[in-house]
Formats: sequence, C-alpha cells, structure tokens
Amino acid sequence: MTLSLFDQFSSPSFLGIPMILMALALPWLLIPTPTSRWLSNRVVSLQGWFIARFTNQLFLPLNVGGHKWAPLLASLMMFLLTLNMLGLMPYIFTPTTQLSLNLGLAVPLWLATVLIGMRNQPTHALGHFLPEGTPTALIPILIIIETISLFIRPLALGVRLTANLTAGHLLIHLISSAVFVLMPMMPAVAILTAVLLLLLTMLEVAVAMIQAYVFILLLSLYLQENV
Amino acid sequence: MGLRLLIFACCYLKLMTFSFYIPANALKSKGPIGAGLVQASHSLHTSSKSLAPVPALPEKGGQVRHGIIPEELFQLLYPKTGVTGPYMLGTGLLCYLLSKEIYIINHETLSAASIGAVVIYAIKKFGPSVAAFADKLNEEKVLNAQAVKDVALVGLSQAIEEEKKEQWRAEGRSMLFDAKRNNVAMLLETNFRERIHMVTNEVKKRLDYQIAVQNLNRQMEQEHMVNWVEKSVVGSITPLQEKESIAKCISDLKALARAKASLAV
Repeated sequence: MTLSLFDQFSSPSFLGIPMILMALALPWLLIPTPTSRWLSNRVVSLQGWFIARFTNQLFLPLNVGGHKWAPLLASLMMFLLTLNMLGLMPYIFTPTTQLSLNLGLAVPLWLATVLIGMRNQPTHALGHFLPEGTPTALIPILIIIETISLFIRPLALGVRLTANLTAGHLLIHLISSAVFVLMPMMPAVAILTAVLLLLLTMLEVAVAMIQAYVFILLLSLYLQENV
Repeated sequence: MGLRLLIFACCYLKLMTFSFYIPANALKSKGPIGAGLVQASHSLHTSSKSLAPVPALPEKGGQVRHGIIPEELFQLLYPKTGVTGPYMLGTGLLCYLLSKEIYIINHETLSAASIGAVVIYAIKKFGPSVAAFADKLNEEKVLNAQAVKDVALVGLSQAIEEEKKEQWRAEGRSMLFDAKRNNVAMLLETNFRERIHMVTNEVKKRLDYQIAVQNLNRQMEQEHMVNWVEKSVVGSITPLQEKESIAKCISDLKALARAKASLAV
C-alpha cells in the first residue's frame, strides 16, 4: 500500500525501453499545425489567438533584445501546459512530476539568463546583488543573501513545478482511494469525500495551468533582469 | 511509411498513365512524418495540377455522438445491427473487460469519473461561447478585409465620377479657345486703332505748324505793307494839302450843320 502510492511517479519503461520519450513527444500531436490558409477552423484560430496574446503579454515588459526568447518560451509554455493537463487523465503518466525533467528545463534556461547578463552588461547584472536604498550596515549580509537567492532560483523553479504536480497527483490518488475504500462501508462519508475529490480535481486543473505559467513567467523575469 | 515508399516508387517509375494529385493538407496530417511527406510530394512534379488554390474547408466538423464517438461507427454498423448495434457493442465490450478483469475498477476509475465530470461540465457550459468567439475571430478578419475592399471601391467610384467631370470640362475647351481668340483680336484691334490715332495726331500737328507758319508769314507781310503804305501816305501829305483838307472839312461840316438845322425845322 505504501509502495503503490508512489508507483505512479516511477518513470515508465516497457521491455527496457524508456517510455518517457513517447510521453514527452506524443502530446505534440494534439497541437494542430497552422495551415497556409487565411481563414482556418476554430481550433487553429483559437490556438493562434491564444499563443499570440500570451506571447505579447509576456514580452511586454522586456526590451527588444529579449524578444529572441519568444519562440522558446511560447513553445515551452504549450509543452508544459499540455503535459500538465494531460497528466490529470487516469492512467496517464505526467513527465513533469519527475524532478530530473524539471531541473533539466530550469537549470539551463536560468544559467543562460545569468550568463547573458554577465557577458553583455556585467556591472548591471552584478548590481542586482545589492538593491537600491539598503542601509549601509546591512550591505555585507544582503550581498550574501542575494547570492544565495540567485543560486537557489533554478532549484526553486524545478522543485516548485515537481512538488506542485506531485502533491496534486498524490492527493487525487489518496482521496480517490479513500472514496473507493469507504464506498462499501460508509456510503455517506464516501459521497462527501467524492465531493472533496471533485473540488480537488478542479483545483488541480487550475494548478496545472498556473504552474506552467509561473515557470515561464519567472524565466521571463530572470531574462528581463539580465538581457 | 508505406505511403512515402509508394509515392517515391510511382514518381521514380514515371507512371504517367494517371496523374497523382495528393493535396498538401492531406499529407501534412499523416501522422508524425506528415511534414516529410509534403516535402516528398514537392520534389517531382508528376502532374500539371498546382497545389493552389487550396480546396475549401468543409462546412461542419466531423459529426460525433455523445461528444466522443464518431457518427461513422453508427453508420458502419447500421446495416447489420440496426440502431442499437453500437450501444450493444459498447455495453458488451465493457462487460467483457470488467468480467475478465482486463479493466479493474479501482481508485483511478473514480478519479477518471471526477475529471470526466469536470471536463464535461466545462465543455457544456463554455463550449458554445468559445465556439462563437473563435467564429468571431475569423469574422473580424473577413470584415477588416471587406472594409479595405469597400474603401477601395468607394475611392474608385469617386475617381470615375471626377474623371467624367474632367471629360465634360475638356469638351468646353473649344469655347474657351474662341473666347481667348476674341480677346486677343480685340487687343490687337485696340492697339492698332491707338497707333492710327497717334499717327493722325502727329501728322495733324505737323500740318498745323506749317499752316501757322504760313499765316504768320502773310500776317507779317500784310502788316509791313500797311505800315509802309501809311508811312508813305503820311509822308506825302504836304502842309498845304493839310490846310486845304482842314478848310474843306470845315466847310463840309458847316454844310452838314446847315442841312441838319433845316431838317430839324
């Protein structure tokens, strides 16, 4: 029982072939390719509107040099969104529950922003370690704190996504198991727990979308500081 | 993969007996390698048909029943099993899976039920409005293009009107030229008459001068002659003649007086 709760998060493999590659690549099929038409069907129109609006709003505070990151961040957003939302289905493995994947996305992108900042405008990038208007006595401590906070960013990015999704899936698993076990014994309690499960599912849908957005938003903020 | 080999084989063997028209859109959706298939169909132009204009999109999407099962399944099974065929198939399949424990009901079923409920509720509640929004996006694109077209039409019809007006104006240019010609002729005439007038005046002045000179000459001659005559007459009057004339005059006067006195009486 205690083992099977976390079995859902083990990276799937079939006959020794890691299936996580398929889990990462196949959601791409669900995203329709825009055709060379001027007026397309509803799905393509909505997708185009959504991506355009999202990218526009995300890159509004960035200067023009940061706009090079638009395809990367927009496609990463669609990727994380589809992975998270698809993982809510039954028997579907969510790759973003794997810390390795999330750190693999967070660390290179964060490091890229830091290196871009250090290369192009080193003084300005280093200046972030000391916010304006700090009292003189606090300067040494504050620099240490800011350095720690800088290096903890990739960890935070990766672990935030992993923890949110893992916790959500675990809760769904637990509460649905509780309903399943309680149903023959105490149906009234089971129904209440089923209502709780419904609310939790709605929360998880929201969390799936928000966590993907927060990941991208924080990356764009780090980029804004450094580009 | 088989389709790709088939295309390559047919193109390579140059089967010209029938033309191969495979729309690009159909190829692009053929699975994960659809994009590659489009490139394959671009390589050899085995038919004269071009890939544009793109064929029109169908009016409605694929018909589904109960939101997920395509209508084609029902059409497929209708001849053999009638209306209830697919439902019997579904129920039987479900019972088979459950009884043979191929599908086991566990907590995942409950979580599937809850996520299914959330998804179905969201689709039923927000589906029509999202569809209307998507239609509005396309509608706005068409309206913008139509507005451009309308503005162009209005502009062009105005240009036609103005061109017609210009043509009408151009017809009257002969009248304009006549008027101008008249003006010029009048100016020339006036100028000519002025010059004639001036010439006449000048000539008259010259002639008047000559006349005045002649008059002056005559007058001077006359005066001179009169003076000379007077002088010679006065010079010729001797004093004796003067006395005689005076006595004569007195006797005449006396006679006249006597005549007047007799008359008065």
